[in-house]
Formats: sequence, C-alpha cells, structure tokens
Amino acid sequence: MAATMGVERWEGTDVSVGEIERHLADLRSAVDEGGMIRTSVLTHLAWVPPEWEERALETLAGMAERHPSRTIVLVPQPDAGGNGIDATLWLNAFPLPDSGRRVCSEVIELRLRGSLCRSPASIAAPLLIADLPVFLRWRGQPPFGQQQFEELVDLVQRLIVDSTEWPRLPAPYAQLSAIFHRAAVSDIAWARTTRWRRQLASMWPEIAGVRKIRVTGTAAQAHLLAGWLRSRFEKPIGLEHEDSERLIGVELDGEAAPFPPGDPPQPSDVLSEELDRFGRDPVYEAAVGATV
Amino acid sequence: MAVLEQNPLLEGLELARTPEPCALVIFGASGDLTRRKLFPAIYSLAYRQLLPARFAVVGVARTEWSDDEFRDDMESAVREFARDEFRQDVWDTLAPGVRYVSTEFDSPEGADRLSACLTELDEERGTRGNRVYYLAVPPDVFRLLVRQIGEQRAAEGWTRLIVEKPFGYDLTTARELNQGLHGHFAEDEIFRIDHYLGKETVQNVLALRFANGIFEPIWNRQFIDHVQITVGESLGVERRAGFYEQAGAIRDIFQNHLLQLLAVTAMEPPIDFTAESVRNEKVKVLRAMHTPGPKHIVRGQYGRGFVDGEDVPAYRDEEGVAPDSMTETYVAAKLFLDNWRWADTPFYVRTGKRLPRRETTVAIQFQRAPHPPFAEIAGEGLRPNVLIVHIQPNEGVSLEIGAKVPGHGMQIRTVHMDFLYGGAFRTGLPEAYERLILDAMLGDATLFTRSDEIEEQWAIVDPIVAAWRRDRPVFPNYASGSWGPKEANDLLERDGRAWRTH
Repeated sequence: MAATMGVERWEGTDVSVGEIERHLADLRSAVDEGGMIRTSVLTHLAWVPPEWEERALETLAGMAERHPSRTIVLVPQPDAGGNGIDATLWLNAFPLPDSGRRVCSEVIELRLRGSLCRSPASIAAPLLIADLPVFLRWRGQPPFGQQQFEELVDLVQRLIVDSTEWPRLPAPYAQLSAIFHRAAVSDIAWARTTRWRRQLASMWPEIAGVRKIRVTGTAAQAHLLAGWLRSRFEKPIGLEHEDSERLIGVELDGEAAPFPPGDPPQPSDVLSEELDRFGRDPVYEAAVGATV
Repeated sequence: MAVLEQNPLLEGLELARTPEPCALVIFGASGDLTRRKLFPAIYSLAYRQLLPARFAVVGVARTEWSDDEFRDDMESAVREFARDEFRQDVWDTLAPGVRYVSTEFDSPEGADRLSACLTELDEERGTRGNRVYYLAVPPDVFRLLVRQIGEQRAAEGWTRLIVEKPFGYDLTTARELNQGLHGHFAEDEIFRIDHYLGKETVQNVLALRFANGIFEPIWNRQFIDHVQITVGESLGVERRAGFYEQAGAIRDIFQNHLLQLLAVTAMEPPIDFTAESVRNEKVKVLRAMHTPGPKHIVRGQYGRGFVDGEDVPAYRDEEGVAPDSMTETYVAAKLFLDNWRWADTPFYVRTGKRLPRRETTVAIQFQRAPHPPFAEIAGEGLRPNVLIVHIQPNEGVSLEIGAKVPGHGMQIRTVHMDFLYGGAFRTGLPEAYERLILDAMLGDATLFTRSDEIEEQWAIVDPIVAAWRRDRPVFPNYASGSWGPKEANDLLERDGRAWRTH
C-alpha cells in the first residue's frame, strides 16, 4: 500500500515516563485537523541492542502501516554516560483511501542509559495500550534468567525471536523451552522454514522412513527442521548441517528434496505475519523440544 | 484424503486452501462484467498464489476474437481494473492457459469447438476434466446453455456452475430455472452469485453478531426499536436500460441484495459456518418475512436534478428508456418478521438510483434510554443509540452514543465510536468476486444462494409487483440527488420515525 505519511517528531533527553504520554498528546493535537483516527490493534515492544538498531528500524519501516499500533523501541545503552532515558517520539499519519481521514500510529524510541537498563518492564508497562495484546520482539539472544528479560516476558502475550541471531545452537533452545508456558513464542527462523515444511509434508508417506537429513541453510533452520521431523515422527533422526545464509537445500538420506515453489518472504512480511498470530504453536514447541 | 489426515507433518501447517486443478469457462466473456470484475479478480487470485498450479480460463462469446486478441484485451482490463499492480511474472503464469472460443451460444458447432478446446487444455495444462462454468449471459440463452453443459460433461472430473443474476423474473420463472438446472446438476454443483455475500463487510455482520458477546443478547425486539437498510446509488441507469426497463429496482436490488442483507442481519445463529447451516437459517428468515400491505411499499422514479453538482437527466430521458416508462428506480418498504426474535420490530428497507450518494448501510436503532434523569437539559434531545454497519464505502462499524459535553451543566451530545476496516486492517479488502470465484472452485457454497432461498425471495417480491399492476403512480416522483419520494418519508413518519440521512 503506497501511502505518503505525515510525520511529527519530538525529541528529549532525560525524560520521565509521564512526560512521554504528554508529548505524544501534544503531537496528536498538532496534526489533528479533524478526521484523525487513532486505531491500535496491539502494542509492539522491541528490545533492540544498539548493534541491531539499523536492521530493526529497516524492518519496522517496511511494515509501514500494516499494523496500526503503538511501537515502543527500547535501546539499552548500559555503558553510555550517566543514568537516564532519552526519547524520540514519532507520530505517523496514513491517509485512508476514499475518505478525508487519516490513521495515526506512534513510535516511541527510548534509549535507556546506565542503570535504567536493569528494569525495562517498569518503563514499558505504563506505556502499554490498555487491553490490547503486547508483542515483544527481542533482537539477538535473550539473556534467559536475567531480570531485564524475565520481567518483560511476564509483561507480554507473545515473544518474537529470531533464533538465526543466536550463537552456539542448539543449546539455547533448551532455555527457550522453559518459557513456553509463560508466553507464546514465535521464531522468525521457524517461519522461514514454512515453505520447506510444506514441501516435505507433500512427500508423505515416503518421508516417514527418513533416518538422516542434511540441511543447507542457517544453523537455526537446520536444527528446527530436524527437531520438527523428530517430534512429528517420534523417532531419532540424524542431522548434518552445511552453513548458508538462506535455506537452499534439504537432503533426505542422501536424496535432495525438490525445491519448493514461490519466493522467500521479505523480513517485514515475516514479522507482519507473526503479529497476526495470537495462540501458542504446539508444533513449533515440540520441534524446539526435539532440537537438543 | 484418509492418507492426508494421517500425515503428521501437516499439523499446524496452514495450507492456504488451493483448489484442485480446473478450467474456468466464462460465457459472455466479451461483456463488461468479465473486463471489470472477473478477470481482475482472477488476476488478484493469481497474484496471491491462490489458484491451482494447473489452471486455465476459456472465454466464450459472440465477438470475433482470436486467443491473442482476447488475451490482450484481458491484459488491458487487468491493468485498468485490478486492485493489484500489474506484474508481468504473475500475468505470465496466467496467460498461457487463456483461450477464447468465438461462437453463438446456441451453435452446436461452437459447443463442439469449446469441448475440443477443453479436452486440449486437460492434456496441455493438466486440468483433469474439472470445470467451473461462469454464466454471465442473458436469461434467454441460459436454459439452452445449462442443457448443453449438462450433456457435454467430461467423463472425469467435477463440473460446477456459477450463475449470475437475474435469477428468474418472478417465482414461476425462478422455479423453472431451478428445475432446468436440477435436470442436469445437483444443488451442490450450482453456485448462484449474489456478490453482496462476497463482500467482507457483509460477512463481518456475522462476525459482529456471533463473535461478540455483547450484541447478540440485545439483538431482538426487546432492545431494538427498528432496523433501516439502505442500498443507495448515486448513478443513474447508465448503459443498462435494456435490462433495467424490464427489471426495475425491485428485481435489480431488492429481490437479491437487500433481502440478503436483511437475512444476515436478522438470522438466528447458525450452528456452524457450513453452507447448509448458514443457508438454513437465512431461509427461515425469508420465510418469516411479510409486508403489512401495499400501503407500506413505496416506489419511485427519478426526475431531473443535481448529483455531485452536475445536472443529470430524468430516468425517462435516459437513452433506451421509454418516454412513458413506469419502471421504478426506487423502492422503500416496511417489512416484518414473524418470529419470536423480531415480532413487531419493523425493518425499513430502501434502495434507489440517483440518491445523493453511494451508500450501503445497515442501521440498528436501539430503544431509547427509559428514563434519562437529565432529559430537560439535553441540548438536542436524547437520541437513541444506533449501531451502523457501513457495507460500502468507508467499510466499518460505528456506534452512536450520548456523551456529556465538557463544561458546566449536563449537556448531552451524540458522538460516534468508529471502527474502520481501513484503519485497523491495512491490507486492502479483497473484491467480492475474488472470494466467490475461489469458493466455487473449492466447492464451498456458504456464500451462494440456495434454490429455496431464491424462491422465498421471489415469493416476497411477487405480491408486491402484483399490487403495483393495479395503479399508475405519477412518475417521476423524486428529483435526482434527493433521498427519494415524499411517500417514503411518510412511511416512517406515520410510525413516528425518520430515515437516516447522513
């Protein structure tokens, strides 16, 4: 949907959480010439360490107006000078076709300096929109067991990770399994195996006899595919992995599976789809459980 | 199928419903509907990879075209009317399976050529004898085509018929058409299109009612004062005078779209969303419907006037319209449903051409607050709550509620709580025809009209039309750009109510 967007912006250093809501209200009244609609379907929290910032903002921009929501981007900067919060607020307005009205969505980017990184949940909680689901996109590998992560998990309905971003797989999957009962989990690496899983499913029933697979793709995709087949067939299946940036081949007992049809989806499309899901995914959970 | 169900790998994999390989045959392919709606819809389905990989389209019409000429024309139609951008790679998946057969519909030689073309496609494109026939043809050739298709069924594969309106002219002709169809096809092979049912917002009426706990308990005679359904067009008769002179507003809109809107608004909750459950409930509503007499039906015909600032001619001055035409371009009616839920709750419905704007809405007006403690100081008087379902344009739902005006005293004003589709879901609404063509290919008839529904609809229309034959109103009786004849306003005023005008 090609739409020009009107943007209002405000920036402040050493702000309090209370000030943020007030400045957002100011921005809204600045652009509201009547006919502005504030619609939200969710609150989208993103934990983005500085090294991920550029990629995260790119993905967010790609999502544009698909999910009218309040987006809260938390950028931890434990080693930056002093303790405090610096904020940048954007108000985006998207015109509604065939009507004079516009839809607005808000992005709140908070840079948490020093000790403010420790308890991000207490900063995010007052900014959540009441009664709407909260999605947390955690960039990189979550520090399982640490306060900053555990608190946020309890605040949200759904955690979205991309285990492709994690080093030393498959060990962290065991820790991920431990939080399944606390929040539904989406894994972008898993979503990126969907085309191949469909393809492999179409090879039933012959595929049930498979003993070993060889996956050319990311480590996350290789482990998840193997875990998936193990958990579905309830039997051990060997895994050989050849590293590649994208999932480009699956061999079953030495024989290559046909390449699935269609194009791989864009990062923004994958995230956008994950934001449309609400329940737990038992098939994914079982696959993760069988990776280790 | 049994094997698929055991396949443990399929669990959790949302397989987009992809139809089986098939060929879509469009009769009347050189017409406006094909250019504006059908082909753009097929393209949008291809764009989203919802069509089977083995698929073909055959256009059939009188116009003398080659395959290539038809393909070129359809390409330009897609470029002009599709809701998605034109992508060559998408078109290239469709184009090789597009064929054209130029023939008179009653020519046996033409039927043979079509049959040969389809057999060829079965081999070339792997369509396996599966056929969807889309009949966008005038009623006079309809029966002939049904017989022809019925007799030339492929030995293997399934055959389905999509049938466009008008479906009959009255109850007798509709029954004849149904009998003609049932002579060659089972009811589950027949898909009578009412494109209103393919609209997201019409389906949303069902979601609104049955996916929310707060509406259904008050969705009855105790809490609802009355219901207004408006299908307004700002256009005139345009180029459809030939058809419209015969049909009028009652057959063009009232008999199908309006009654379907009423049915989904008033029906009892179906036990599930399957074709038979949903249609059983709709038939019950139609069966319970009655008009309290000819005085409660108003018809009108537009005269000269202004629409969107432009001077537009009277209906009788339109091209192809008789100068003394008695065809109605406007119908308003008061309807009752004789059942426990709705007894004594009037449903006011209206449809017309050359109204001030294009608007389709269902407005549910609730009872007034029984004893507002601040009645005296309410500025404009306390208005009842109204729940409005905007079918088109500005698809959405809004609720009118009373709110206190800030400041001293207790001034109450009506404000809107809006849900706009375009605001919450930013994906663009699919065209009704996309959904319906896909459903027919999948064999899902939930959003199509069943034979008994059609017959019940005509059973409501026939007595209305019969009463009209006895008198000659003075036409035209409303100016273009107005909300219809004065009698339509009187219809509600007599009950102490008024039409919504905004």
